[in-house]
Amino acid sequence: MSETTLYVLQQLINGLTIGSTYALIAIGYTMVYGIIGMINFAHGEVYMIGTYTAFITIIGLLTMGVGSLPIILLLALVTAVIISSTYGYAIERVAYRPLRGGPRLIPLITAIGMSIFLQNYIRLAQGSRDLAMPALISGGIQFGDPEVFEVSLSWMQLIIWGVTLVSMTALALFISRSRLGRACRACAQDLKMTNLLGIDTNRIIALTFVIGAALAAVAGVLLGLYYGTINPYIGFMAGLKAFTAAVLGGIGSIPGAMLGGLILGVTEAMTAAFFPSEYKDVVAFSLLVLILLFRPTGLLGKPDVEKV
Amino acid sequence: MKLKHGTFSKTLIAAAALMATLGVQADTLKIGIAGPVTGPVAQYGDMQKIGALMAIDRINAAGGVNGMTLEGVIYDDACDPKQAVAVANRIVNDDIRHVIGHLCSSSTEPASDIYEEEGVMMITAASTSPSITEKGYELIFRTIGLDSLQGTLAANHIQERIQPQRLAVIHDKQQYGEGLATRVRDILAAAGTETVMFEGVTPGDKDFSALIAKLKRNNVDFVYYGGYHPELGLILRQSREKGFDAPFMGPEGVVNSDLAAIAGEAMEGVLATAPKSFDQSPENAALVEAFRARNEDPSGPFVFPAYSAIQVLTEAMRATRETDPYALADYLRANCFDTTIGEIGFDQKGDLTEPTFEIYTLHADGSKTPVSK
Repeated sequence: MSETTLYVLQQLINGLTIGSTYALIAIGYTMVYGIIGMINFAHGEVYMIGTYTAFITIIGLLTMGVGSLPIILLLALVTAVIISSTYGYAIERVAYRPLRGGPRLIPLITAIGMSIFLQNYIRLAQGSRDLAMPALISGGIQFGDPEVFEVSLSWMQLIIWGVTLVSMTALALFISRSRLGRACRACAQDLKMTNLLGIDTNRIIALTFVIGAALAAVAGVLLGLYYGTINPYIGFMAGLKAFTAAVLGGIGSIPGAMLGGLILGVTEAMTAAFFPSEYKDVVAFSLLVLILLFRPTGLLGKPDVEKV
Repeated sequence: MKLKHGTFSKTLIAAAALMATLGVQADTLKIGIAGPVTGPVAQYGDMQKIGALMAIDRINAAGGVNGMTLEGVIYDDACDPKQAVAVANRIVNDDIRHVIGHLCSSSTEPASDIYEEEGVMMITAASTSPSITEKGYELIFRTIGLDSLQGTLAANHIQERIQPQRLAVIHDKQQYGEGLATRVRDILAAAGTETVMFEGVTPGDKDFSALIAKLKRNNVDFVYYGGYHPELGLILRQSREKGFDAPFMGPEGVVNSDLAAIAGEAMEGVLATAPKSFDQSPENAALVEAFRARNEDPSGPFVFPAYSAIQVLTEAMRATRETDPYALADYLRANCFDTTIGEIGFDQKGDLTEPTFEIYTLHADGSKTPVSK
């Protein structure tokens, strides 16, 4: 293979890795929007809380002398998912449910307030410095011609792909096969009608917040370990990127969020590959503007039918 | 009648309180210490704070200055230019006439305008951007060398000792980092070493995999990084994971123990220019003991410059028997001072006449050793 092919392959690997985590976070935006039509801007903060929970769990287990990597990873994932889901549920219960039925602008503003509150609450509780995650997983596979260009695929990247794939498959099965999943789809189609048919829509809405938060927590654990440092401000940028991914794929559509995340990740990596890397955010957000101009419903989104 | 009585007693209390404050003010001289107490570079603020407070405490213990006791008042600018302006205005409102700080060059620059205008003397122990003292200020001084000199030192070292075939210069697009990176690139270009890659990263970014792949593709064999430790730490850590192992060099903004925490083993052997390790010099042994006794770390690059800033300030107050910033500024420019960072003097711009940087090799345990000349 030529040098350029290998280089593009390397950047594709990097882009897919980061893209799959965007996709995980984007699910939270898209599901909530699909059902109640609001953008939960505090979602990035839930992701950040996930990384902090994982950090505390990992440090705790290491000090207790637990050395087994699978146990540490599993426990970190489980605690992060539980804590973040609790936050996701609580945010919905405290900040959004009391306002349901009001003008659309009001939950949007509470969402921004919630985001600022959570960010500063973690900053006060955990300090504002960068915390370094212990390097649990290192190494990987190197392939390609060392003389030309050596492509590296780290174990961590493989784990990110694997965990994302499993979570996404689980979500897809849950939505398409289970009773609750069917209720979710019904809510997305017509909230009022679903309610009339005897489904507790408040419970379903709470459930979408919990699912979104759980997936964001998974992304938080993965990205915390992949990048190596965390601070209370990471939720903002990650949330913005994931929101872009959700809009890109068509907000309200779950496959759209997955696709949007991957496209955004790969676009970023390719921009950094062939242009100065400081332009990657510029290109990522220009992509959002272009999509909104030429395809306002996103790649897989359905045109918004005015509900009577 | 009752109402009148109430008003009268309130006036009395207010008058008493006023007298009490005046009484305290007569023998306490407040000195502002401005820098990041929160935010991602707060540990540098700590260095400045412990240095300045130690100097204040020791001077107070020795009887103070001109019969006054010094008091350090901490202000937090979070290394944010907007907050720095707010802090500077607050310092002016609090009637403080002498400031140690600010820390980040991008905060120091807007703040120094306000101080100069309002007649407040500022001595920074950490800001190294050349442009701060370029404007011909009267009241702005620093007890640390300039970026430009750090860049020159780094460039000369790279040119003479490293002689890289394929050099990359990376920076964080901020005043401090990009300024240094540009200088290193320009000096090396003039000396005949071409930079094959000159690129910025976004401060606060976490994913450097694309940048690292590009470094690998360009067969880079030496990297100079202009910026701070959070990004360099991640670049080092992720480089190691991705099999890119060219040596790195950075400025004093990367030298602190958090770099070791972030980068781990990948930090071993990183080169950095930093102010001389004043905690290693034998004259400061007693002072180092005093820091350790207070459970503080004297090894940070800004601890002794901050200590020395208080030293020169009080020295000038003693000699002139004044606290007026303009009189002090004249005295600072005209004289030499014996401080913990050696014998120093200030030029017309307020910069040190002889700056004090050295090249160090950083180690994974957070320690550093000077590179032999």
